[in-house]
Amino acid sequence: MEALKRQNVTVSGSGEQLIVFSHGFGCDQRMWRLVAPAFEADYRVVLLDLVGAGGSDLSAYDPARYATLHAHAEDLLAVVAALAAGPVIFVGHSVSATIGLLAAAAAPEQFRCLVLLGPSPCYLNQGHYVGGFGARDIEELLGALDSNYLGWSGNMAPVIMAHDERPELAGELFRSFCATDPRIARHFARVTFLADHRADLARVRTPSLIVQVAHDALVPVQVGTYLHRHLAASQLVLLDTFGHCPHLSAPRATIDAIRQYLVHLPS
Amino acid sequence: MSPQPEPLRPPLDLRLTQENLEDLYDDAPCGYCSCLPDGTLVKVNRTLLTWLGYERTELVARRCFQELLTVGGRLHYETYFVSLLLLRGQAREISYQLCRANGASLPVLLNATLVRDTDGEPLVVRITLFDITERRKYEQELLRARAQAEQQGEDLARANDQLTRQNEELTRINADLDSFVYTASHDLRQPINNMAGIFAELKRTATFHDPEAEGMVGMFEEALGQIMTTITGLTEVVQLQRQLAPEAEEVLLAPLLEEVINALRPQLQEMAGTFLVDVAAVPSVRIGRSGLHSMLYNLLSNALKYAQIGRPPEVRVRADRAEDGAPVLTVQDNGRGIDLERHGRELFQLFRRFHPEVPGSGLGLYLVNRLVHQAGGQLDVSSVVGEGTTFRIRLPR
Repeated sequence: MEALKRQNVTVSGSGEQLIVFSHGFGCDQRMWRLVAPAFEADYRVVLLDLVGAGGSDLSAYDPARYATLHAHAEDLLAVVAALAAGPVIFVGHSVSATIGLLAAAAAPEQFRCLVLLGPSPCYLNQGHYVGGFGARDIEELLGALDSNYLGWSGNMAPVIMAHDERPELAGELFRSFCATDPRIARHFARVTFLADHRADLARVRTPSLIVQVAHDALVPVQVGTYLHRHLAASQLVLLDTFGHCPHLSAPRATIDAIRQYLVHLPS
Repeated sequence: MSPQPEPLRPPLDLRLTQENLEDLYDDAPCGYCSCLPDGTLVKVNRTLLTWLGYERTELVARRCFQELLTVGGRLHYETYFVSLLLLRGQAREISYQLCRANGASLPVLLNATLVRDTDGEPLVVRITLFDITERRKYEQELLRARAQAEQQGEDLARANDQLTRQNEELTRINADLDSFVYTASHDLRQPINNMAGIFAELKRTATFHDPEAEGMVGMFEEALGQIMTTITGLTEVVQLQRQLAPEAEEVLLAPLLEEVINALRPQLQEMAGTFLVDVAAVPSVRIGRSGLHSMLYNLLSNALKYAQIGRPPEVRVRADRAEDGAPVLTVQDNGRGIDLERHGRELFQLFRRFHPEVPGSGLGLYLVNRLVHQAGGQLDVSSVVGEGTTFRIRLPR
């Protein structure tokens, strides 16, 4: 139960099968707002915040522990264990896709399948591998995050006030929309963008769906095909859209791709 | 009172009607652009083009807004800005660097709103950009200052750690020193006692032919006596360090001083000295009795030992109260005095001696100071070379 509280886990929907949504870098579980409700009719929908993000227990973010994504994978397994409802369907965006892969490699019995949205095992170009970024790009990007130190904390509040279609949720909940403690954001960015988990792919036996966006500034199409080649029992689907967040920019196409995959999943 | 005349309205300034909306857009004091949901630029104002150094045709329908950002800004845009825009319909006060055509960068603050079509689908993003070159410099200063403060905090913590470690080491060394002194005093006592016994026996049985032998025997005995005194002092120091603070009791000063003075009677008579005692103002103090005895014995015997040659010692012992009511014991002599300018800092150190011509062990004042501190008091000294020294023991109230 402690794990559920620590990661601000919310459960909705009906059905036997659990579907767990885990958000990517830069936001929190509210990123799933346009996608997750579509699954509530058929599944029990579980949303969580990574430790350090959104409504999670920020005091639990110990930089030493979270120096690698394995700590987040352990967190995920703790949540799944606490839910105690058999193998789950896992939907992970961006860095959470990697977290799901690590968790499934460690405890395959807990996962029925993985849906990987905009996944990348490594953002850096390495030899023949095209990650999309050079080492200097990553350093510059971390520098830019550093220089957004003031920006990050400074631009949160006014963003939230107006244009809220759900005024009953205004205030406390939305004041911190996608806001992160800058120190945590900086650290998490480093861990996320410097990670290289290509070697872990061979350990994953869980069936997976790779959802690759055709024009994703963060993840070149080569990364999707690389993953497809190295992940056993994987399927690759190309979404003809743009950006790193298809669940926001193309929610319907994203929902359809996931549904399509789940329908044909052997039970 | 007559009614105030209606002020004449100035005729409408025709320049006010001259503002052309297109000019307003193009030459606004801020950058404007609009783009499709995927970022493709559809409209850019002249101000922004001038800032960036691009022609309109190079950008419109050809480039995406996010391509104008640095790599770092682009990541922020994709992971944060887009989420905000699509979920909240707007984004405010986001700080980015734009890349100019010439490779330089321009710090800007960005506001954006998302316009949706009648079906609620994202249609166009309107972006306003403000040049914040100066503000950015100031922010960088703040960031630097913050980083510096953090660094200093870390340095402080490190220095603190080091201090703690050094403290622990000092405590350990102190303990080692204590046990060394204990071992030395303990291990020396036995052979010295043996030596004294053997020498007494030797003196009794042996016959010396050399006429100077008697003087040498005397010198030997004197030296032996000094060693014994030093060892006794060391033993006392060790005992002091090993024992916990002694139980305080109400000690009557007059009888205690009498006891101390009686013990010093032989020297006193030999030197024709006097002790003048006045403890009427504070007849008793609350303190460990043996500690107080030791303090007074050491101070009083010092007063005799370091008397000015050719001047009979006159030692005044007083007990008063300080302004706050704390008892103060004063021992004032007319002895040779101590050069405090030179020796003040070392006065209470173990084995420090300032009158090598007088035999002593260098333990007395060290012991007094330790005892006073152990009793929660404070020891002060003032002195004039050739005139005398005054010790003040201020005890807790």
